[in-house]
Amino acid sequence: MLHKPLIFVSGKGGTGKSAVAAAIGLVRARAGERVLCVDMGGGLGLASHLRRTDLGYAPVEVRPGLFAMEIDRARALDEYLKLQLHVPQGSPTRQLARALSVLVETAPGVREIISIGKPIYESWSGRWDAVIVDAPSLGQFQSYLHGPGTIAGLAPSGTVRRQAERLVDTLTDPDVCSVMLVTTPSELATAETRGAIEAINSEELTAPPSVIANRVVPHAGFGAEDIEPLPEGSLRDAARLQLSIEEYQRRWISELPPNIALPFLRGVHTPGEVATLIADELGAGQAAAE
Amino acid sequence: MTRTIVVTGAGGVGKTTLSAGIASAHAAAGRTALVITIDPARRLADALGLEHLGSDPQPVRGDAHLHAAMLDVSASWEAIIHRYAQPEVADRLLVNPYFRAIADRFPAAQSFAAGERMAEYVESGRFDVVVVDTPPSGGGIDFYRAPAATRDLISGKLLRLLTGSRVPGRSVLYRITARPMLRLVDSVLGGPMLSDVADFLLDLRTMYDTLSVRARTIDRHLREATTLVATTADPTPIHETERFFRELDDVRIRPSAILFNRALPRQWADDAPAPAVAVGRDRLAALAANLSNWGAEAHRQAEAAAELEVRHKVPVYRIPWVTPPPTSLVEIADLVRSTGLEV
Repeated sequence: MLHKPLIFVSGKGGTGKSAVAAAIGLVRARAGERVLCVDMGGGLGLASHLRRTDLGYAPVEVRPGLFAMEIDRARALDEYLKLQLHVPQGSPTRQLARALSVLVETAPGVREIISIGKPIYESWSGRWDAVIVDAPSLGQFQSYLHGPGTIAGLAPSGTVRRQAERLVDTLTDPDVCSVMLVTTPSELATAETRGAIEAINSEELTAPPSVIANRVVPHAGFGAEDIEPLPEGSLRDAARLQLSIEEYQRRWISELPPNIALPFLRGVHTPGEVATLIADELGAGQAAAE
Repeated sequence: MTRTIVVTGAGGVGKTTLSAGIASAHAAAGRTALVITIDPARRLADALGLEHLGSDPQPVRGDAHLHAAMLDVSASWEAIIHRYAQPEVADRLLVNPYFRAIADRFPAAQSFAAGERMAEYVESGRFDVVVVDTPPSGGGIDFYRAPAATRDLISGKLLRLLTGSRVPGRSVLYRITARPMLRLVDSVLGGPMLSDVADFLLDLRTMYDTLSVRARTIDRHLREATTLVATTADPTPIHETERFFRELDDVRIRPSAILFNRALPRQWADDAPAPAVAVGRDRLAALAANLSNWGAEAHRQAEAAAELEVRHKVPVYRIPWVTPPPTSLVEIADLVRSTGLEV
């Protein structure tokens, strides 16, 4: 599931999706592939996890073989008109783009198709072995997934419709595209993630998403009976917190069993370190599976 | 005089729970308090008695002084339209397909609607304290930018961009949208979208005077409010908190404090055995390793909190990590009070 040429990583806000997207990029690039990480959200999430202060629309190499960029809708729109819709040469594209910028923000499906289209065009381009997308959080991501279908429904015919249909074909092709939803073993994240999976599956927006449970506190190897004899103090308090977290997380993990579980990282300072450690974990998991 | 408290910060850090706890602590001190919340967790919603709650404040079960309102964004927009638009304009707007698109997607819309609600309750004089749990979009900063962004939307800035001239009348607009260049837009988009959007923006513009006054009022309320920035100790929210302070500074908002959620006792960092001591296979070694791991996290947390305090020159209130997360309002209020945060 980590091997697909096009991977969208989404999840409830605060679950660590940018860290996971960066980590998948790192793992693929370490394996010698040429990888593009795309920040669709416009936040600083992906940049900080790749140890950059910012990203631009032009891909920059952040590790050997690993490139990263951020979607800029105005630039993406310009490209969409020129390369995808073949708006004729000599037409006033700048003026057109300016007028269209209004529609990009308001017309149903247009903003979405331009944002979600860019990583898909990149995956078609043949320049990358993998395109990893740091997608917006769950609700917005679903409206992005709806974009191409909405446009295909609105545009009666012509280039726009053919383009939109091709996007839908890529999104729904299980050999090409996979969606990974990052969650944490907690009540709200579990409920939201389940809701998103049901919606994506029932509308067949993509192949069924995979679930990555992040911040899972590993079993510490003792039980409640071991705590009883301990005197009051930090050793006992930390053991009690550990057991209560294990019990709480077990419940939400059983409610939504993940395809991959990633550990809660303790004593880690920066987003860059978090992504590197998650990449180590994903790489070790892959090696074990093979 | 109503006191307003805005709780803001990155997604997933417990803003909703903390907002409810702060309101509940004020209510326990005998003040009439209202918490305005957005999409609360199921169990917290149950604790607030929110399962059948609309956007009007309702008393919370078992607490005479505490009220809660849940924000339904599209309902709030409908209320705004009804309040500020001429009846015939309101009717047209509410059936326009772009109204829904704007209400759901225009990034500032949700925030403007939340700010509008906040202003309404602050001005009603019914409450001593109003606590606002900010919408999650844009890490909370949208909430502060929304009044100006909404004014821009309605002022016709978009219309002028669309038509390349001053804001035209309806008939002029139709002639403009018939221009070949704009017909190309329609053919690219596959439908007569442009005139629909222009129609919508023209209707919206009739509300400009009243709404822009309103936007200024919301802005003033935000400036007079106490702003609390919530974070957890995780590296990403800490990083986002740094950015958030910069962005708040850009709009000249000065937060009063940081709420550092899910904090571990500092003592664990001092008491933690070195990892080498914790090596072994028996249960005792596992217990020692456990304190060593959590101690490392407690140490990092203490450093992160100290750094935030020094850099932003605001007090950092550490809210203890409790698992499972507290669901009763009494527990949450106790947790908030235990930090020393004045309520």
